Amino acid sequence: MNEEQTWVSQAQQGDDEAFTRLVETYQTPVFNLCYRMLGEPELAEDAAQETFLRAYQHLHRYDEKRPFATWLLSIAAHYCIDKLRRRKFSMFSMDAEDDEGNSFEIPDINAPNPEGESIKGQTQARVHAMLDGLDATDRAAIIMRYWYDYSEKEIAESLRLTVSAVKSRLHRARKEMAGVWQEEEDDLLAEMERRQHESPAF
Amino acid sequence: MNHQPFESWLLDDKYLSATEKRELASHLRDCRTCTALAETGLALRSTKVASPAAGFTLRFQQRLAAQKVTERRRRLWGLIVLIVSGAGLVSWFAAPFVYAFISAPVQWLTAAVGYFLFMFTSLQAFSEIVKVLSGMVPSFVPPYAWMVLVSTLGGLGLIWIVSIWRFARKPQGVTA
Repeated sequence: MNEEQTWVSQAQQGDDEAFTRLVETYQTPVFNLCYRMLGEPELAEDAAQETFLRAYQHLHRYDEKRPFATWLLSIAAHYCIDKLRRRKFSMFSMDAEDDEGNSFEIPDINAPNPEGESIKGQTQARVHAMLDGLDATDRAAIIMRYWYDYSEKEIAESLRLTVSAVKSRLHRARKEMAGVWQEEEDDLLAEMERRQHESPAF
Repeated sequence: MNHQPFESWLLDDKYLSATEKRELASHLRDCRTCTALAETGLALRSTKVASPAAGFTLRFQQRLAAQKVTERRRRLWGLIVLIVSGAGLVSWFAAPFVYAFISAPVQWLTAAVGYFLFMFTSLQAFSEIVKVLSGMVPSFVPPYAWMVLVSTLGGLGLIWIVSIWRFARKPQGVTA
């Protein structure tokens, strides 16, 4: 039995210290998934906290044959998918409300924020924007694939889909992202050409 | 080679041989769709992992503690509502008897003694009937019918025990 399994086993027996060690170990992967899914650090923090809370409450349901990380990320992904679907629904009104009825601003990925400012390089921002345009489940599949190197089978297990469904979702999402990427490249080229024409002749 | 295999290689993140790599590079010079696919793949793989702000574990512990308090409060309120509603129901059923006892205690006691005597004699008669039947029935009922009966009762008993175990099992987490 490795260290992680020992912690899980101890946590299942009610040892909060052991669960805290699991939180320390997996806080970054869980937060990263939530951040890539929701696009806002505040929402990601809340989602990551909620993920660990749900994991704590349902630890007795955890199947030890599965890797703990997969189980945890599966909880996070489902929570975020649910959140995104609700957000999409509430987009019809100017203000949205969370589970507790608290009002929050509809996230604008282009709006200046500390996290946005800290994102280094244009590529990071472009990836962010591309993910934002994807369907919630497709987004989760892409994140699991490219940030966590999950196989199609692991993604299928985590998102409760068939392997062929995962494959087609990944393909569709990649094509969609490539389309957005290409459009942005075209816009950049057009902008550069426009500037060349506008520049004074020597 | 046409466009399709290159697109599939990129979409499937296929591991490429040196020759395939050369062919892909040559194709990418002419195909903008595949170039965009390759570039997005690279961009996805090069994006850094976001970390939470410092003190995440501490904030989780605080949230968990608050959740436990809320859960305990909810359980306490549930228990109070259960007790109060149970007591109310019992009072509602017992009220006519209590009223009858207060208004005419002797008459009520006589009726109660009569009722218990009736119950006692009925039970005695029932046990006599069961005794007689248990002496007669086994000779009429074939052994396989007994097996079916015992198995059914055993199965029902098992379901009952499992149900109780499942309901009584303490869930992990907030109740700890």
